[in-house]
Amino acid sequence: MGNNQSSDPNKRGDGQNKDQPKYQPPPPPTQFGKKKKRRGAETASKLPSITPHTKCKLKQLKLERVKDYLLMEQEFLQNYDLNQPKVDEDSKEVSDEKTIEEIRGDPLTVGSLEEIIDDNHAIVSSTVGPEHYVRIMSFVDKSKLFLGATVLLHNKTLSIVGVIDGEVDPMVNVMKVEKAPTESYSDIGGLETQVQEMKEAIELPLTHPELYEEIGIKPPKGVILYGEPGTGKTLLAKAVANQTSATFLRVVGSELIQKYLGDGPKLVRELFRVAEECAPSIVFIDEIDAVGTKRYDSHSGGEREIQRTMLELLNQLDGFDARTDVKVIMATNRIETLDPALIRPGRIDRKIEFPLPDIKTKRRIFEIHTSKMNLSEDVNLEEFVMSKDDLSGADIKAICTESGLLALRERRMRVTHTDFKKAKEKVLYRKTQGAPEGLYM
Amino acid sequence: MPENNSSNNNNNTQKEETKNNKDSSKPIPKNKKNEKKEETLSPEDEKLKNDLELMVTRTKDENSEIVLAALESLKTEIKSSTSSMTSVPKPLKFLRLHYNTLVETYSTTPEGKSKRILSDILSVLAMANGNDERDTLKYKLLGSGEAIAAWGHEYVRHLATEIGVEYDIRKEENQSVEDLLKLVDEIIPFQMTHNAEPEACDLLLEVEQLSKIFNFIDENNYPRVCLYLFNCSYYVPGPDDINILKICVDIYIKMKQYPDALRIAMKIGDSELITSIFKLAENNKSVLQQLGFLAARQKIVPENFDIEPIADIINNTKLGEFFLNLATDLDVREPKLPEDIFQSHLDSTTVTVDSARINLASSFVNAFVNAGFGKDKLMTSEEDTKWWFKNRDLGVLSTVASTGMIVLWDIDGGLTKIDKFLCSQEKHCSNGALMAIGMLNCGIRSDMDPALALLAEHVNGASTQTRISAIYGLGLAYAGTHRQDLMSLLSPCLDDEKEKMEFIGIVALSLGLIFIGSCDPELSTLFVQTLIQRGSQANESHARFLHLGLGLLYLGKQDAAELALETLKAIEGKAGEYARLTVEACAYAGTGNVLKVQNMLHFCSDGTENPHHGLAVLSIALIAMGEDLGSDMCLRSFDHLLQKGNIHIKRAIPLALGLISPSNPRIAIMDILSKLSHDNDPEVAQGAILSLGLIGAGTNNARIGGMLRALAVFYSKDVHLFFVRIAQGLLHMGKGTMTINPYHMDRSLMSPVSVGGLLTLLHAALDIKNILSTQSHYLFFSLVCSMYPRMLMTLDEDLNPLPVSVRVGTSVDTVGLAGKPKTITGFQTHTTPVLLGFNERAELATDDYIALTNILEGIVILKPNPNASSTSPIVTSKNKK
Repeated sequence: MGNNQSSDPNKRGDGQNKDQPKYQPPPPPTQFGKKKKRRGAETASKLPSITPHTKCKLKQLKLERVKDYLLMEQEFLQNYDLNQPKVDEDSKEVSDEKTIEEIRGDPLTVGSLEEIIDDNHAIVSSTVGPEHYVRIMSFVDKSKLFLGATVLLHNKTLSIVGVIDGEVDPMVNVMKVEKAPTESYSDIGGLETQVQEMKEAIELPLTHPELYEEIGIKPPKGVILYGEPGTGKTLLAKAVANQTSATFLRVVGSELIQKYLGDGPKLVRELFRVAEECAPSIVFIDEIDAVGTKRYDSHSGGEREIQRTMLELLNQLDGFDARTDVKVIMATNRIETLDPALIRPGRIDRKIEFPLPDIKTKRRIFEIHTSKMNLSEDVNLEEFVMSKDDLSGADIKAICTESGLLALRERRMRVTHTDFKKAKEKVLYRKTQGAPEGLYM
Repeated sequence: MPENNSSNNNNNTQKEETKNNKDSSKPIPKNKKNEKKEETLSPEDEKLKNDLELMVTRTKDENSEIVLAALESLKTEIKSSTSSMTSVPKPLKFLRLHYNTLVETYSTTPEGKSKRILSDILSVLAMANGNDERDTLKYKLLGSGEAIAAWGHEYVRHLATEIGVEYDIRKEENQSVEDLLKLVDEIIPFQMTHNAEPEACDLLLEVEQLSKIFNFIDENNYPRVCLYLFNCSYYVPGPDDINILKICVDIYIKMKQYPDALRIAMKIGDSELITSIFKLAENNKSVLQQLGFLAARQKIVPENFDIEPIADIINNTKLGEFFLNLATDLDVREPKLPEDIFQSHLDSTTVTVDSARINLASSFVNAFVNAGFGKDKLMTSEEDTKWWFKNRDLGVLSTVASTGMIVLWDIDGGLTKIDKFLCSQEKHCSNGALMAIGMLNCGIRSDMDPALALLAEHVNGASTQTRISAIYGLGLAYAGTHRQDLMSLLSPCLDDEKEKMEFIGIVALSLGLIFIGSCDPELSTLFVQTLIQRGSQANESHARFLHLGLGLLYLGKQDAAELALETLKAIEGKAGEYARLTVEACAYAGTGNVLKVQNMLHFCSDGTENPHHGLAVLSIALIAMGEDLGSDMCLRSFDHLLQKGNIHIKRAIPLALGLISPSNPRIAIMDILSKLSHDNDPEVAQGAILSLGLIGAGTNNARIGGMLRALAVFYSKDVHLFFVRIAQGLLHMGKGTMTINPYHMDRSLMSPVSVGGLLTLLHAALDIKNILSTQSHYLFFSLVCSMYPRMLMTLDEDLNPLPVSVRVGTSVDTVGLAGKPKTITGFQTHTTPVLLGFNERAELATDDYIALTNILEGIVILKPNPNASSTSPIVTSKNKK
């Protein structure tokens, strides 16, 4: 882009060189780094956006028009190559490639870019040795060079002969969910309204944005899931990840707290940048209270850093750049400690509460968990369903698992009612440990 | 769909189950499978399901009473179900299994009420069943004909889709469509009353009954309907687009929105329609005046209509006055020297040589910058600086002619200033004055016809140069007027055997400009004859204006050019090729016709080194301009052309980019041009520099300004500098108050005269070396046809300037959006008169006045709003300031 042939030195004779003024304003600086990507030829080659999002004939006509143009482009490119006299063009290209190949040399070394000095020079560090001040070859795409990029180096002169793209912060790369979790919506007992709200706020805007436009509202940007521990917040998020074809990025709040100053906010930025690159995408931040607690005057540097991380998060959620295809899900069990700015409408438009399961839901959860178990005839789950104890979804799962373990201990192949009873007592005892039952009654 | 998912999951769990069981080596209880199925349903659902099943079985009952009751309850069950966005309503979900049973029942049920009700139910169920059989429609037609709204919005939408498909099939098989149309008549009112105007329009377009929409128009929905239809018309193949536009006009007339009706009528180009709109508004003085302003901007006059009451407006007599008013308000009346624009003292280069070429460039810059202000420091100032003495030969001609641009639109004041040059003994000087007289009359009509009176005697003057000047002047002055007396005056010149091609070219060009878009058969044959007579001369560079003149006759007339194209096939060789390309491109200018673009691209990819490839590239831009999608996609194509194409294509690409967005400095285009302006090939570089001027014309864009200043330093020793200077002049045209973009009225209407002016310059630039940089630099003045102040000026009902506050912001595409969406974004509040950028729109900030036209652009008449709320918040905040 920037490295075009700005003038032909041969064109001006040597005689004219004397008349050249002493000072020539420098050519416009070559743009390094990623920002360049957004402008220029890149934007020219991007397809124009089609405005009415609603399904209508106008949209169809417009899309057809775009298709026509694309077909013409394809046809042109094919025809042109066909009609082109082969000889000179080919050999020129081949010889060009050969020259570059020669300059590039063999083998190549990999290094990382530490500092850009000027248009043609940079400091690189190779993985083994010290840092070097080297040349940047003119055929390297400068717009892809940025600090910390992995570059290819010539084996002797160590000059930069290429860039390796597709580098994302490895920290963020880990967050991508490559393998979809096995949990799906049908593994959720009850929570029908929550599932529906979630679908409306997260999935539908990504799959059917036109529905929202028809009504004339902006789709919600994100949701926060809150409620008692073990009520299925993470499970629901997993189900969303299982269901959607969008990129699913998951982070735990504590991951955003980093050792060095400024690393946390940087990670947040990086996270959202990747999310935007892979759009449509869903970002799931579990245990958001790790970074999202209310701000207060603090003298500890660590505290302040955490708060700054949250500020960055605030900005990414509802900052200056509008993102449409990135949805955010947060989960916490202590919503009251969160900073009010974090959960204000506009950042997080929907707050979904996960209550303790009611009787119907409990029954459903029991059914889900026991469906894979071998139960003896005498098991009467209704007894547990109807009991007055506060059982969360996780408790029920624990009861089922525990009862299974008890049966195993006695080398039985079926789980009996007594197993369940014992398991329940055990689980409930563990839950209320530390505050013995009935002490304050 | 959730239910699919759950069933999948059941399979999974069952598999796992088997595995578990194998491990534990236990027999599998067989009935468990069935149990599981039941388990997935909650008790309420279970009950609903059983109820529905019961009803389904009842429908087979012998007793018609029971059947009827069952059907009725089925119906209520379906209707009462509230659906969520995310899933199919439960009753439909459960009934899906029984769809086939119901169909069987239907075939056995005797005719009667129950059969019809069953048919209705089947129709709804078919929607959830989702097959290609169009059962929804089939059963709806067989059904009881109950009100369509009863089953909800989704059902209506589904039905509409199926009608569209069915209609096409029946048309093909020549079957009757009566019943479908009846159904359509039922659907349309429902959609129109439920904010689904686009859908209603779509359905009517599908069944080719668009005129029916006319009956459902009211003051609330007409803007949305018209906006939608208008936008559709860009992409619908002819002649449907004209029909759509005509319906828009009818709707606007019905709603008494005459300015909007006129705008679309002018787009169609139907002079009878235009006259009829004027006649409708005859009794309302203010509206008539507003219509006059619209027509004046388009430079047309309604035929067979007494324009006496608004003659001043239609004739553009006061345009100069309004422009000066704007200039006074913006405080830019002080004349500027070219040096103020160049700012070369900032570049620490050696002092620029006073070469003839640079002086000539300065004359042009002076003309562009001070255009229309009637005052400058070189040509018209009181103490005669004798600037034109610093030029030589033809330079004098252009320099003197530039006076015409400075006194643009000011007939009385301007003529006296030109007078002194007219009497000059120097031949070039008096010739320049002739051209100047033509130029200052551009777009202005006057009863006295000063241009014709002064120039007519010189048309058959002694020297060729005098004749060229006079004829070119006439062409500029009467562009777009279609005046027959000029034809009889000018057409004999074409037969002049003695004259060279340059003269013939200019005569044809002038005639083309005057009769632009007229499809005049007489002229057309005359041009073709001249082309044939001239034989080999028709290959000369200046012959392109003869071709262009022919093309201009058919500007935007599409099929009307077919005959001329056929005749041109008779001319062999390159000349015929050039003419054919030009005529084809002009005829489809601004239509976005994909087939024509494809033709041009084919032509470009034939693998030869044909100099006419450049013309084809320019033609692509000409066809695709004026419509956002097409021009964006063109940019992509140009990218490929630039990479693959030969030198002729490469030379034309900057020009095409200039044509695609004049006075609209888009960053993407700016970047490409900036890159090309450093190209090794001088013609590519010069074209790119010129185009930088075109895309920035009249905007004072700082970024382009910076680029051009850097280029001026870079090329300080080259011919390129001439073009850099001119581009700088264009950039500051009218000190940043003008536009040369041919599209106006919210980018919906193309001004043919303006396109003509631009095309003349760009065709000349196709051979930049032989035409623009040597003798025929006066062709730069053709831009005068395209120049117009980019202002919004508000007048009261007595046509006196009325300053009001308006909001100006980037326009937003609001087609097909619900509610009352904002039309502008990022606005600022100004007081009129105010400048409008290419992509900007204005709206009144207060409700104290009502504008007579919905598009605030150019000159707008306001009338006081009787219902104005005096406590409007904006007013109060204004007062505080």
